[in-house]
Parts: sequence; structure tokens; C-alpha cells
Amino acid sequence: MTADTAPTETVPTEKTVPAETLPLAPVRRVPLGARHLITPAAVAAALIALYMWVGTLELDSIEQRSLNRAVILAKTVEHLQMTLAATALVVLIAIPLGVVASRARNRLIAPVILTLGNLGQAVPCIGLLVLCTFLMGVGFQTALVGLVAYAVLPVLRNTMVGVQQVDPALIEAARGMGMTRGQILRRVELKLAVPAILAGLRTALVLTVGVATLGAFVAAGGFGELIINGLKLNRMPVTIVGGVLTACVAFFIDWLGSLAENLLKPRGI
Amino acid sequence: MFESDRDAEGVRIELRALTKHYPGRPAPAVDNVTMDIPAGELVVFVGPSGCGKTTTMKMINRLVEPTSGEIRIGGRDVLSLNPDELRRHIGYAIQQVGLFPHLTVAQNIGLVPKLLGWPQPRIAARVEELLALVHLEPSDFHDRYPRQLSGGQQQRVGVARALAADPPVMLMDEPFGATDPITREHLQNEFVRLQKQLRKTIIFVTHDFEEAIKLGDRIAVLREGSHIAQYDTPAAILDRPADDYVAGFIGQDATLKRLALLRVTDVPATEPLPDPRLPQIAADASLREALDLMLAHGTDKCSSTAGVLSYATLCAAVGNRSREELVAGDR
Repeated sequence: MTADTAPTETVPTEKTVPAETLPLAPVRRVPLGARHLITPAAVAAALIALYMWVGTLELDSIEQRSLNRAVILAKTVEHLQMTLAATALVVLIAIPLGVVASRARNRLIAPVILTLGNLGQAVPCIGLLVLCTFLMGVGFQTALVGLVAYAVLPVLRNTMVGVQQVDPALIEAARGMGMTRGQILRRVELKLAVPAILAGLRTALVLTVGVATLGAFVAAGGFGELIINGLKLNRMPVTIVGGVLTACVAFFIDWLGSLAENLLKPRGI
Repeated sequence: MFESDRDAEGVRIELRALTKHYPGRPAPAVDNVTMDIPAGELVVFVGPSGCGKTTTMKMINRLVEPTSGEIRIGGRDVLSLNPDELRRHIGYAIQQVGLFPHLTVAQNIGLVPKLLGWPQPRIAARVEELLALVHLEPSDFHDRYPRQLSGGQQQRVGVARALAADPPVMLMDEPFGATDPITREHLQNEFVRLQKQLRKTIIFVTHDFEEAIKLGDRIAVLREGSHIAQYDTPAAILDRPADDYVAGFIGQDATLKRLALLRVTDVPATEPLPDPRLPQIAADASLREALDLMLAHGTDKCSSTAGVLSYATLCAAVGNRSREELVAGDR
């Protein structure tokens, strides 16, 4: 009987909740506004200034051997190859490890993983590169090992935190709806961790661009070669060009990262 | 707009000697609970925090695995089924709602049907239907994200989501607990209306006895270890609390609560014709509201379209046990 007597619909029930109850807060992605064009403009200005400054210099034959189009292009390609290859490896290594470390049942392994990540960043990269040289000889692959070890931590930690900070109520709701653990991980936890993971990845990329200059020590090329040659041969312009180019690439990649964050962030959060 | 022929009505749930003993705890959280939940009824588990009511409920969809005992839903042994598959066929709504913030309202509601592999057009049609059912304009709310909804709206979407795959059984864990009193009242009224239409078998957990009386076809008052202190209709529990524990739960105003369960039209009118000079009450108002009106006007009578109602009738309605038993129905 109770169900028949319970409803007290004395208030005229609103038939449909009016749309105006809440203003439609913007869930749009931030458009590419003027704010987003500052970085590429500044980078372009720096590059033009650098070009013009080098143009005013009387380059001797040693400088000419480094500061010409073919060499700079080759160094840029080498540097980007190192950066991108290292970052790709970091994604493959750090995201799964971060997920593993975030699981409650891996409470014992998580500190080990984090310590390894910390160690990778704490150990001086140049020392690690030298050690790797003993094991693997010089070259691109040796440089990659050092770079990856250095850049794993931000992605690892952000993945772990990003997954862990997902509201437990969401996980419970997901389980209660019959999602499998794999589905919860893929469709809920990782999706909601995307902003954190991307932020970590952006940090890792910028770090890698900087640290990739050390690749020159293991004959992996890159802008580091310009810097080191300039120092060794006491040719300041060469060092400066190497340094400024590295900084410009770092800024530019950071800018690309910010665009990616805007673009890939799930809507609604 | 609300009628849908395919809606599955509830099935019977049987709990047999259900026990959950967490390792390292001296006493079981749920101790040997045996209970029958009739098909199509809304049974409220009510009890203090930590009495095991939520644990008992969560064993039914196996979010908590029972230590021992047996659960049958519609005659099928739940413990022999795949837990994920099982949960897709049991509606589940929680206090925190748990809408996925990165999915739109439509995607949230359509999630379980999608897990069940429904074709896209069928999911879309079902989402529209459910949004209308919970009084959210589909064209308006379809593409919103959860953070663009008020708390009450989120909870409606939560209920719609639990109903999405048309489960015969629903489990609800204080679904209205986090909303403000006005919204809660509103959601409760709508929920009663909804359940009248759908006739699902629902287990509803709350610590709010008022809510239990308002929503429940039956109430299970639970004490420590999920022991059943009393399991009966709200009217019967109010009329004859089994012991002091239950009486304590009801509080001091059991009679007023019983009045609240009865409508003006449930009792015979003193005079069959309405009297326009008396304070007026709606025919579907509760006797408690009628009493309130009389007290406010200092009269012992009020009038509805069904006739004149007197204070003596109210006393008779709650004083006459044999009448009350009639109303309470068979146990």
C-alpha cells in the first residue's frame, strides 16, 4: 500500500527541468588565440636575430666548417631524432610502469619503480652516458639510453598520480555497471589521467631537448656538437649558435606540447 | 511518453545465510542474513552507519564477495555467474552519482547498453526515452557534460543510467543522500512515481528513516552485523515496532509518521459533501498535512473535494489496529 500513498506531489512538478538552471559553462577547447602565438613569434624573432648577427661576422675557415646550412640542418635533424626517439621510448616505458605503480595491489613494487625513475633523473646524465659507452660503445643508441633514463620520471610520476587521483566513486560506479578492470583502466582511468600524462610528457620533451646536447659526447651528434666544438676550438659564435638553436627548439616543442594538451584533453573535464 | 512495453518488471531476490567476514576482523560485517525480497518491491535497508547494510547490498552485485551463503536473483544462483556480466544486468546508483566527467550525459546513460553490445540506434532511442523519463529535456541535456548539471540533475542522470539496460533489479546506495532537502524531496517524489510505473525490484540503502517510510514497500531495519531487527511494511513497523531498537529508530513521532502514510481519501469522510467554509485540503494530501492544517486554523475539521474530515477520523485512522492491519496488508 505504501507506494500508493507515498507520493505527495502537492508542488506542481516541473515537467522538464528548464535549461536555464545552469549556464552552459564552456566546454570548448581554448581556441588558438593571440596568447598562443607569442612563443612561435619569439622563437622566430630569435632565429632571425641569430641569422642576422652571424651574417655580420667575418667567419674564419673553422667557423665556416660548422656554421653552414648543411651542417646546421644535419645537426637539427640529429637533435630532433634523438629527442623524438627518446620521448617515444619514454612513452612506451613510463606510461605502463606508471599504471603498474598506481595499482593498489602493487603497493610493494610501486616504490621500487619510483626509486628507479628518481635514480634515472638523479644520476648525472653525463656519467650515465660514459658508463653506457663502456657497455655499448658510442653512438645514437647510447645517447638514447641516457636520455630515456633521464626523462622517464616526469611521465612515470604524472601517469601514476593522474591515474590515482581519479575519484574512487567513479571507479565504484564503473565496476557497479559491469565494466571489466581493463575497460575501467582504458575508458575511465587513463582518459581522466590524460591531462596529467600530457603535462608530464611535455616536461619530458623539454628536458630531453636540453639533455640531448650531451649526446655529442657519445658521438650522437646534435646541437651539442656545435657547442662542444665551439668551446674546444675557442670559437664563440659556434657555441652561441648551438646554444640558441637548442633553446629555440625547446621553446618550440614546449609550445607544440601546450597545443597538444589543449587538443587532446578530454572534453568535459 | 513514459510508457514502454519492453520494460522488464522486477524479479525475486533471495538471500540465504549470507555472511561476509573480512579477514582480521573479530566479528563478521554481515552475519548470516536470510531474507526474501519479493519481485517488483522496493525494500529499504535502514540502519546506523557501519551496520553492514551497504555491504549486504554490495554482495548482491558482487562488488563484495560473500564469505558464505547464497544469493538468488529470479531463481538464478548469482555466485555462479561472471561478476562483470552479472553487474551489467543490475542497475546501480550511488550517493556520489559517479557520472563520468569526460562523457556526455547521453554517453553516460548509454554506457551499459554499449557494454552489452546493443546496436547504436537502439542505444540512442533508449537514451532519449530515459532522459524523458527522468524529466530532463533530451534535446537540451543530451550533449551536456556532467559538470554542466546541478546536483539534482546529475542524480537524475545517475538514476537514468542505472535504468539504461532495463535491469529487473536495482541497487541504490543512498542515492539522494548528498542533495539538499528540497531537491531530495523532489527526487524522492519522482522516484516513487517512477517505481510505480516500472515495478523493478529495488534494494535501497539509507540511514534516513523518513526516507525509508516514504519510499519503501517494505523496510528492513538492520542492526550491527546486518542482523534484521524487523522486516515489514512501513505501517506495520510504525504500528508495532519489534523492540526498543526499532522504536528508537522510529523516534518519538511514530503516530505522525503513520498519519503521513495515509491519504485524505483513504479514510471515510465525516460528511460526504465538501464544506467551503472550512479550511481546504487537497484530496491526495496526507492525513498529517490535514492535521497540520487543523492545528494551524484551530479547528477540528477540514474539507477536501472528497468531503469533510474531522479530528476524530484521524484518531480512528491511527488508533484502530484492526483497520491499520487492513491497510498494512499481509506480511
